[in-house]
Amino acid sequence: MSLPTNIDPPNWPRRLMKFFLREEFAEEIEGDMEEVFRDNLERFSPAKARRIYAWDAIKLMRPALIKNFQRVGTFQHYAMYKNYIKIAWRNLVKKKAYSFINIFGLGLGISCCLLIFLYVQNEFSFDAYHANKERIYRVVHGEVPKDSKDGLTQCPCWVWGNAPVGAALQNEFPEIDKVVQFSGRSDILLTYGEKKYQEDGIFFMDSTAFDVFSWKVISGNPKTALAAPYSIVLTQSTAKKYFGDEDPLGKTIQGSASAGRSDKGDYLVTAVIEDIPSNSHFRFNLLLSMSTFRKAREDVFSAWGYVDFYTYFLVNDKFDEATFKNKLKDFSERHREYPESRYGIAIEPLKDVYLRTEADRQPGETGNLSNIYIFSAIGVFILFIAIINFMNLSTARSLERGKEVGIRKSIGAQRAGLIGQFLGESMIIVLISSCVALVIVYFAAPAMDALTGKDLMIWPFVTLQSIGLFLIGVIFIGLLAGSYPALVLSRFNAVKILKGITQSDRGGVGLRKVLVVFQFSLSIALIAGTLVVYLQMDHLQKRELGFDRQQMLIVDYNYDQEVNKTSELIRNELLRNKDITSVAYSRSVPGSYYPHAGTEIETPDGQKEMKGQAIFQVGLDFITHYDLKLIAGRPYSREHPMDSSTALIINESAARQYGYSNPADAVGKKFSQWGREGEVIGVVKDFNFISLHRNIEPLTLPFAAYDSRYMSVKAKSNDMKRTVAEVESVWKELVPHRPFLYSFLDDDFNKQYQSDFMFRRLFTTFACLAIFIACLGLFGLATYTAERRTKEIGIRKVLGADVQSIVGLLSRDFVILVIIAIVIATPTAWYAMDKWLATFAYKMDMQAWIFAVAGFIALSIALITISHQAIRSAFMNPVSSLRSE
Amino acid sequence: MKKTKLGEFEELVLLTVAALQAEAYGVEIKRELESRLRHSLSVGSIQSALKRMEEKGFLTSEFGDATQKRGGKRKRIYKTTSYAHKVLSEMKEVRASLWESIPVLSHELKLA
Repeated sequence: MSLPTNIDPPNWPRRLMKFFLREEFAEEIEGDMEEVFRDNLERFSPAKARRIYAWDAIKLMRPALIKNFQRVGTFQHYAMYKNYIKIAWRNLVKKKAYSFINIFGLGLGISCCLLIFLYVQNEFSFDAYHANKERIYRVVHGEVPKDSKDGLTQCPCWVWGNAPVGAALQNEFPEIDKVVQFSGRSDILLTYGEKKYQEDGIFFMDSTAFDVFSWKVISGNPKTALAAPYSIVLTQSTAKKYFGDEDPLGKTIQGSASAGRSDKGDYLVTAVIEDIPSNSHFRFNLLLSMSTFRKAREDVFSAWGYVDFYTYFLVNDKFDEATFKNKLKDFSERHREYPESRYGIAIEPLKDVYLRTEADRQPGETGNLSNIYIFSAIGVFILFIAIINFMNLSTARSLERGKEVGIRKSIGAQRAGLIGQFLGESMIIVLISSCVALVIVYFAAPAMDALTGKDLMIWPFVTLQSIGLFLIGVIFIGLLAGSYPALVLSRFNAVKILKGITQSDRGGVGLRKVLVVFQFSLSIALIAGTLVVYLQMDHLQKRELGFDRQQMLIVDYNYDQEVNKTSELIRNELLRNKDITSVAYSRSVPGSYYPHAGTEIETPDGQKEMKGQAIFQVGLDFITHYDLKLIAGRPYSREHPMDSSTALIINESAARQYGYSNPADAVGKKFSQWGREGEVIGVVKDFNFISLHRNIEPLTLPFAAYDSRYMSVKAKSNDMKRTVAEVESVWKELVPHRPFLYSFLDDDFNKQYQSDFMFRRLFTTFACLAIFIACLGLFGLATYTAERRTKEIGIRKVLGADVQSIVGLLSRDFVILVIIAIVIATPTAWYAMDKWLATFAYKMDMQAWIFAVAGFIALSIALITISHQAIRSAFMNPVSSLRSE
Repeated sequence: MKKTKLGEFEELVLLTVAALQAEAYGVEIKRELESRLRHSLSVGSIQSALKRMEEKGFLTSEFGDATQKRGGKRKRIYKTTSYAHKVLSEMKEVRASLWESIPVLSHELKLA
């Protein structure tokens, strides 16, 4: 075998050797190394030979072979640095309590910041995994305001819209590459062998989906997966749920009808994709082909008035957002079904759809930009509080270091050198704290997941960039925290200090007070904020919603016609149970999805007028079941068989919408809606059918028993578990083909406040941490002051001062500071929380006592913190404090 | 004998240098020792032993020729000094006398 001469030993060990080997040995040893390397090349692979070379090079670092580094540089500096480090270490060890407060407080502050950063990063990372993210846009549907200057569509708008807009966009704009449309969120009952599940939140999706979105296809052909009718694409975990370890590709699953979208049929599994990442603005367990929908409802795909589609599109290089928006005005006008309507579309880029959208009827969840700002601010506040602790404790202790500075100066230390020393010391502390912080983050990350309800991943954020950012942050904090003590300490006059004149005690006191006030203002504002958040959430939960929601069981059967046909039978069977007081059917229940519709109702002047409202299609007993109060008229009734086609019940707001200042007057007026005509038979008092973030909209409650999706069961039971089991056994007997899916109305309704609850949890946690860190600092300061005044207290006691007056003396200064902080914090917090409350349609009144309580809490915590120290020094025996001089 | 501190490994290296004569340079010593000890050695361990012993006066050295395999770098050829020979033979004698003073052990008797 000939020698491979073109392979060279690795570079970095060679340079390493050049650096540390003594020059007189370098040639020989490098030669030896190279020879050994060539030998190894004959025996091993080049990679292994290189590895041996590198390892051997490292093992060359032996005392006999390396340069004498001690001779490099001047001796003087080296000793000085050694001394700095030694002094820094001694200071840390000598004052363990201060060091702990500094390091732990700062570590806590940094970890809060990091955790919040993690959360914020996660929010901003939504949809960023799509390879085409810069080129994906979506359509929102709305109206062009009458007084609009630029003629563009404006919100209020919906993402949900009609189907033909997709084809029109594709045909009329060459700058659009691909259009992908999908249905509204659907539900389907899937059966495979023994396994039967209802799948919620699924979509009928165009075959172009995989050209636009970057979902990873594991098996199957993405080009054709969604082409044929009755094709189904599963995510990995869904595939596992039905097929276990079998290969799902090519198998068939029986699917039920999906109301209004498809007939039942056997779906062929054409592809399996990875689970949709948690940072996606809409997610699903499976996709059905859009052609399935088209096969069942060909008509709606050309109807501009039929709303059931989301439209996204991929643009090419020719696309320019501004120009495109200008063309949309014409486009909208061209495609209006009725020339007098003001329908129009607008577009949103993918990067805005999670955090910056105002549109309603989203395909999935949306984030909240202002929450992100609030939490970022809290993170920065907490960090500031921790940094202030550090600054305060360092300057307060400056006197102790004064002598050291004096001696250093008198033997020739320059000011710059001293600044460097103290900055270096704070840098060391910050470095240790940041290590503590990293440990805390590592262990607190799961708790943060629970707090936010998100999947926060640490590892994806550990990139070179973020590590660099973190290090820059650490240096910045070190400079910020250390600069003031460094400047103060280095300014000392050596002569005065060594003579014993204390100039430092005054220096920094003013600033220290300002910083403590600042710290406590922040803490009090956070406490007040927490109180407001709690009270508001309480207010929301306790508020009368205008309907009965206690012990209400909701069974979801997804428009199953078999159930709707036997609904009376199920009802009667259930009512035989004495714990069940009422049963009703409806398409929507409070807090659930509901459609909108246009309704014509006679106005007070006898004209029929068309207006749009929310619509709850209900069964016979819905009104009485939910205890909705009738202002006028009567509920639907079994005694009026014509109710099913000629009657309508509306709410107060709807009556007002048509101009009835007295809602009761609307009873008896003519209406037409969705092909029905008749009379308004009743008006119900407004009830909150959606979250209290929003006002009550006009609502109609037409009688349409066969459009029902939910069965509501009202129980009066001491043992809800048993009652649920009883309902289930009736269900199993009468509806054996459908799983029993139940939930409680209360829980469902409260799900609308999920993000508010998350907000409350996060806010509370971080507010507590903030006040804890602030108190940590206060404790340090109080301890320090008490220590400094030991002799004074001793003398006072000898002269007859009692414990009370000494505790008062030691606490007074701090209490004044906290009171100033209350004064500053109150208006700030008031203003900020008023802004937050503005996001609710129903809000509590802001009351002064909240701030009084917040201030009181802060004051008591501060007092408890200080008093421990104050009482201890007040009880100290003056003999022991005055004995030594 | 007092001042001549010679470790076990150093002694091995020194003996190898003596055995190899004109061929005694780093890599060759390493090869020789590796084949005899049947385990691999690092360049560093050989080199540091050589340097230490040169400092103690057991070895002298001078540059030899360069080869292409060494990347054009010269070898350093080591030679044992007469002092080294003296110390080595002293150690051999000490060892031999110690071996002789070991009483004949019972298990060896049986073997014989």
